[in-house]
Amino acid sequence: MRRYRMSFYIKLPGLVLALILLASSLLTGCQQEKVLKIGYLAEQTGVEAYIGQATIPALEDRIAEVNSKGGIGGYQLKLIVYDTRSEVTDAVTVTKRMMEQDKVVAVIGPSWSAAGIPIAEIANTNKIPVVATTASNVNVTVNEAGQLNPYMFRVCFIDPYQGYALADFAYNKLGKRKVAFLTDIASPYTVGVHKFFKDHFVELGGEVVAEEGYQTGDTEFRAQLAKIKDSGADLLVAAAYTYKDAGLIGQQMEALGLKITVMGADGWFVDDLLAMAGPQLEGAYLTTGVSTESPEFADFNAAFEKKHGVKANIYTYYGLDALYAIEYAIDKAIKDTGSPDPTAIKNALENMKDVQLFTSKVTMEPDTHNPHNKPLLIVKITNSKWEIQETFQPQ
Amino acid sequence: MDLFLQQVVSGISIGAIYSLLAVGYALVYSVYNFTNWAFDAFMAFGAFMAFYAISSFFLPFWVAAIISILLAIGMAVSTEKLAYRSLRLRKAPRLFMMISAMGANLAIVNLLNLFFGGQFRRFPVENIGTFSMGQVSVGRMDVLAGIISFGVLGLLWVFLYRTKPGLGIRASSIDILTASLMGINNDAVAFIIFAVTGVLSSVAGIFYGIKYAVYPTMGIVTIKAMIASIVGGLGSLPAAVVGSMLLGILETLVAGYISSTYRDLFSFLFLVIILLFFPNGLMGKSSDEKL
Repeated sequence: MRRYRMSFYIKLPGLVLALILLASSLLTGCQQEKVLKIGYLAEQTGVEAYIGQATIPALEDRIAEVNSKGGIGGYQLKLIVYDTRSEVTDAVTVTKRMMEQDKVVAVIGPSWSAAGIPIAEIANTNKIPVVATTASNVNVTVNEAGQLNPYMFRVCFIDPYQGYALADFAYNKLGKRKVAFLTDIASPYTVGVHKFFKDHFVELGGEVVAEEGYQTGDTEFRAQLAKIKDSGADLLVAAAYTYKDAGLIGQQMEALGLKITVMGADGWFVDDLLAMAGPQLEGAYLTTGVSTESPEFADFNAAFEKKHGVKANIYTYYGLDALYAIEYAIDKAIKDTGSPDPTAIKNALENMKDVQLFTSKVTMEPDTHNPHNKPLLIVKITNSKWEIQETFQPQ
Repeated sequence: MDLFLQQVVSGISIGAIYSLLAVGYALVYSVYNFTNWAFDAFMAFGAFMAFYAISSFFLPFWVAAIISILLAIGMAVSTEKLAYRSLRLRKAPRLFMMISAMGANLAIVNLLNLFFGGQFRRFPVENIGTFSMGQVSVGRMDVLAGIISFGVLGLLWVFLYRTKPGLGIRASSIDILTASLMGINNDAVAFIIFAVTGVLSSVAGIFYGIKYAVYPTMGIVTIKAMIASIVGGLGSLPAAVVGSMLLGILETLVAGYISSTYRDLFSFLFLVIILLFFPNGLMGKSSDEKL
């Protein structure tokens, strides 16, 4: 008797589940409206919460706009958003859920490389394209062995590229000849920018006079800066991943009376840096792929803030870029093959040529899945504000 | 030579901040034989209180500093009451006190993160600049921080060696049980010790905040202070200061002359070697007189 009851209770949940599945499959069968789901890996909580909070409303607005115009090829779009909590493990879990349970046709995100690299595996297995927003490490789209991750794409530039552009600008435009580096040796991003800056700067004829390092989390840089002061450098490259390091370096340079030009990369591009060390970093240069200060976004920013009470940031733009690319690819896939199959969408993304996205026109490199020659902005800190110096267009 | 002097000056200014923190560790350890891991949360708490007293209530620096010190005393004493006292009274193993301290630490740091956010803030004081001696530039604020740090430590010394409550604390540090049998109120000793750690952590937090930035995890630096107090000789106040100065100067010299990338590797390797030859720390006594 007892045994019988136990097995009944074990079977019961299975039975219920089977009924639910049956019911849901019947219901979806009845549903005639054609819907395509697009996933978004959002940072809604955790340290990077400002990314998701400023991106989700923009994506929802855009999708509502597309749907109100009849959708794409007769399909309505639907955004599926899951929180990654800014953690790699959560990002991986929700990506699986989107692909395996929600059956999305494409995924927007992630915003950081540490999550992008493991997600590549899931995308390749499920054969569903992922368009990363700001994951700039080379290995997000091309693995360590140099093989392409066929279902991974990105809409931002890659790390080596920033180093190259900064070196070019420093040598040719600023006339700098002696560079010193202050590098977070625990950050692949900072190390990458350092390496590629150095390669190109030396190639142009510049000289490296000091290479100093520190570890993530350090707050004291005066020993290194004193050496740099002693080295006679006319330029300091400190491509810190977090703006805290940049702020502290600026403050401590002032304390040591070290007055040379400083350069950073896009890790610096956070408004809080200006409040922390704007005056100390006056005249410093950095890069960014896109700037909220650009005049062409002024209307968008104002409307966005008014409607949602949140300021648009660069992650909003990258999120929209990824969505625009996916819209284009869905449209192309339907036109070419008659169906929005994820593999057809992936092929369309791979062969994008001069497609106007939210921020700029993009051509995808088929062999790397990186945007080809994406323009990069060189920004100068002037009166504690970001001032765009020039748009660097690689040849 | 100028470069060398510059590095030594930087090292001393770092060492002064380590000293305040190291003494805080040493004081608690000398009496209770456990490491107060919540100390770094007190430091961040003190810095945040001073930061908001100035930036939100527009109080002058000295008033803000005093308020911050009082609030940090409150925080330290209530942590002792909530997290340590009941364990202590029930004779829990010291390890449990340490776990409890870590819990208090995580709780306070996360509350700061929740209420104030994780961004890095510049401490809102006017930059009083630097002065130069030859090619060596010295931050005026560093000098002030050094003077005040050692002033506070001097006062603490006078308190411990020239007053009756100080005598009670020293007696407790030798043998807390016998001391209580002699009529020294254990709870009063705990109150005073934790109040003093509140003062030290708040002063250190304010100067660290001025020197670097104010953020919830700023207290992570206290781990270096703890190491300094061990190398100096755990449980002894002058030794904690010596250890801190040594570590501060060592770090900048290693960064300046050996390798900035492997600064921690070399400085801590050196400290391990010191401990091999002086297992109780440079000035550590076995156990008879610890303060």
